[in-house]
Amino acid sequence: MLDLTSAQNLSDAELVRLSLSNQNDFLYLVDRYKGKLMNYIRRLTNVNDDDAEDILQDVFIKVYLNLNDFNVDLKFSSWIYRITHNQVISSHRKLKARPEGYAVNIEDQSALSLAADIDIEAGTDKEIVKQNIFKVLDGLDPKYRDILILKFLEEKNYQEISDIIRKPPGTVASTINKAKSEFRKELARQNIIL
Amino acid sequence: MDPQEFDQKLADKIKEEKIAPKPRWHFLLKDYVVWASGALALLIGAAAISVMVYLLKYNGWEVREEMHKSVLEFFLLTLPYFWIIFLGIFVFILYYNLKHTKKGYRYPVWFIAISGVLASIILGGIFFLFGLGQRIDNVLGQNAPLYEIVINRQLAFWFNPEDGRLAGVIASDITDGYFYIIDPTGEVWQILAPQSAGDPRFSDFFQAGEPVNLIGELIGENKFRADIIRLLVPGRGFFDRPNIRDSRNHCFDDVCLPPLPPSIHRPPRNMMPADFSYPMRQR
Repeated sequence: MLDLTSAQNLSDAELVRLSLSNQNDFLYLVDRYKGKLMNYIRRLTNVNDDDAEDILQDVFIKVYLNLNDFNVDLKFSSWIYRITHNQVISSHRKLKARPEGYAVNIEDQSALSLAADIDIEAGTDKEIVKQNIFKVLDGLDPKYRDILILKFLEEKNYQEISDIIRKPPGTVASTINKAKSEFRKELARQNIIL
Repeated sequence: MDPQEFDQKLADKIKEEKIAPKPRWHFLLKDYVVWASGALALLIGAAAISVMVYLLKYNGWEVREEMHKSVLEFFLLTLPYFWIIFLGIFVFILYYNLKHTKKGYRYPVWFIAISGVLASIILGGIFFLFGLGQRIDNVLGQNAPLYEIVINRQLAFWFNPEDGRLAGVIASDITDGYFYIIDPTGEVWQILAPQSAGDPRFSDFFQAGEPVNLIGELIGENKFRADIIRLLVPGRGFFDRPNIRDSRNHCFDDVCLPPLPPSIHRPPRNMMPADFSYPMRQR
């Protein structure tokens, strides 16, 4: 098994290769992604901590089961986000819960970046801005909310989003534009001032 | 979430449930199945194109004016609808499979759809040049149920005596200006031959056992005056069917016809004359 320092210097693809021969090395991949994916799950869903942890565990089990399906042409992070995205959708079908976001762990910069990109002047109280952004996101159609979360909160580029949601980059670009316009409409509908 | 606890629970679950990565061949097999199904759909779609080209090329454009049909009307009447729907189904299957390849999602719907159609057309054109369209039509003509109603509607179009069109297989030589044909239902017709039947091209063209279309006029019960005799190209296989070819009871009034000669598997693709109707259309 690798030691922590060596593992930190390895790429995701190398860790995948090592995990296939030694199950314990898989935990380095888990450590690398569990925080990011937990945030992503919490941003996409309204489940409680225990359910979110269960979803995350299912994600890593799926990743482990399908390690041989990982294609090095794709970024590992896109692949694992795709599995997470699909797992969130299927878990919600199982729980019959409506996927609604939670205002958790949103970075100040992400909130401001979203507001700036949508040409909305944000207020000075970052906490209020963040809460309001999530209120508006919760009011959007899931396809628009999910893509805005990936673009502005997860800070993925078009190609990565395309690989995560399995849509052509052109469709991603047009959906983001439409989502931004829907965001503005929802902001006005809820009469929210950021 | 306690990170250490999470890792431990995950590791325990993997060990307890003896979870192991699925083997690589499992995923490769899945990919191969998707690609192989796509390739099969492409081949079938291309075969459909080759039959469509064959049907459209020999649908009788050269005698359209004699039938008093506009280009659009004639085109719509002889369009191979069955093959268009058939092609549509297989282009969709091809599209579906391409979309479900590992990177298929990266390409827009229109790109995959147009690529699928273009690939089918190019391959279908090659198949046509190698005579596949003709072979498929012959085999289906000989064996397929509802062939004349669904698969090759040209046969129904050409078998409409009230409208001046008759199809059948030549069953006799010309005697006293008349000859006989057997129509697609097995009925015998007496045909008044065109007056200029002495043209040497006619003897090459006119042989017992040869399926033909006639353009002219209904002049009595099972009697037809032919102004134009045209070699029937698509649908020839249909006239090899036993109810037409082998019937021993082909009589008209007191004339009983001799058995038809063995089927003529014409036209091989290189023997087809450019204009294969007789007499030639007036220009």
